[in-house]
Amino acid sequence: MTTLQKLLKEIKSLKPIPAVANQLLAVVDNPDSSMEDISNVIQYDPAITASVLKTCNSAFFGLKNPAESIKDAVNILGTDQIVELVLLKSGAAALSGRQKGYGLEGGDMWKYSVSSAVIAKQIAAKLSLKNKNTIFTSALVKDIGKIILEKYVTESTPKIQDLVKNKNFSFREAEKKILGIDHAELGAMIAKMWKFSPRMVKIIKNHHLPDETMIKDKEVAVVYLADCICMMMGSGVGLDGLSYRFKSQIMEEMGMSADDVAMIIAEFGMNIQEVEDLLHVV
Amino acid sequence: MRQIVGVADMKVSNDQKDSIITYSLGSCIGVVIYDPIVKVGGILHYMLPESSIDKGKAAARPYMFADSGIPRLFKTAYQMGAKKQRMIVYVAGGAEILDQKGFFNIGKRNYMALKKIFFKNNVMINKQDVGGNTNRTIRIDIATGDIYIKTSGSKEVKI
Repeated sequence: MTTLQKLLKEIKSLKPIPAVANQLLAVVDNPDSSMEDISNVIQYDPAITASVLKTCNSAFFGLKNPAESIKDAVNILGTDQIVELVLLKSGAAALSGRQKGYGLEGGDMWKYSVSSAVIAKQIAAKLSLKNKNTIFTSALVKDIGKIILEKYVTESTPKIQDLVKNKNFSFREAEKKILGIDHAELGAMIAKMWKFSPRMVKIIKNHHLPDETMIKDKEVAVVYLADCICMMMGSGVGLDGLSYRFKSQIMEEMGMSADDVAMIIAEFGMNIQEVEDLLHVV
Repeated sequence: MRQIVGVADMKVSNDQKDSIITYSLGSCIGVVIYDPIVKVGGILHYMLPESSIDKGKAAARPYMFADSGIPRLFKTAYQMGAKKQRMIVYVAGGAEILDQKGFFNIGKRNYMALKKIFFKNNVMINKQDVGGNTNRTIRIDIATGDIYIKTSGSKEVKI
């Protein structure tokens, strides 16, 4: 078996993210869809529904009257909150494990994923972008390729580290050189197989911006910048550390200054408790 | 007891059973101080150089910024009997992403802000581990003043 065949086989054996996430994204970023459309999609998945209701009725939200259906929950907490909960719950199982090859203990990747999703949401709001849920979810699942690649990274850690430490390779470039594929490309393959939208596949594939012409794509740019900021903040970062490339052209393209970046960081600093709370309730 | 310093947070202690730790410093900086005579030590974990970008946030979270956090760290230790001239100072973090230049290099700016404050106040750094592209976790035992550093994927080492 070639490496690619082996990888494909492993992707097939992964437990996919629940289909409700994709169906929800298709509905939610469509401006014509109603609260009812959204509730309908969610309630078709009994496991997610039960889990969302449990969270809504937990002490975290402190509801006076318990939500008994997704419709109740949407009415009480608002569409955005419920959609976010469903998306988080969809990703939690796949992303919470330990990724030894990347030096990530159990929960580290999940913490990083939730943090970058929250930062991406902040940036999308700042730029008034429409597809905020697609952006949030893409940022949440962008490192999914690491789940499979970590084993191969473990086997080749000395070679990869040598390129990163001594030959000015970024960690992604070193993965590509040594393993023939990097975690972003592999993540895009997984996303495609799980029938994520072409938009999300594109964002996941380009989240380290290997191809600089991609900076014109606002959604790619937002997820890329959120990832950079999340790396700088450090929480849930593994042995690849900050060994990825920062492309300052993207800032000009987005019309953002260094102060804007500092403001996003400061805002994230204010939201850290929210992230910690999300990690506990989901 | 293990005292955890969060992001934009600070802890100072004179309890000899305490070990103060802060996790995952990327571009953020962790400042560790310790007075071996009175056995008072603390860690500050700040995110950004200057509070002038948002006074409101600085008022709510003074430990978020170098210029509002560092003075508080020292003053809190002084209140517990520590003296500036005996203080051991260790600095870690300030990492950067590859090719992160100029004003976008928050890690370097975080370090420069600290150097400026230390220079003005005659504070010397005893040891440091700053810059580069790694993620660092630091810890101090209050009883001994021993400081430990860990980078992701490696074991903790005593400095």
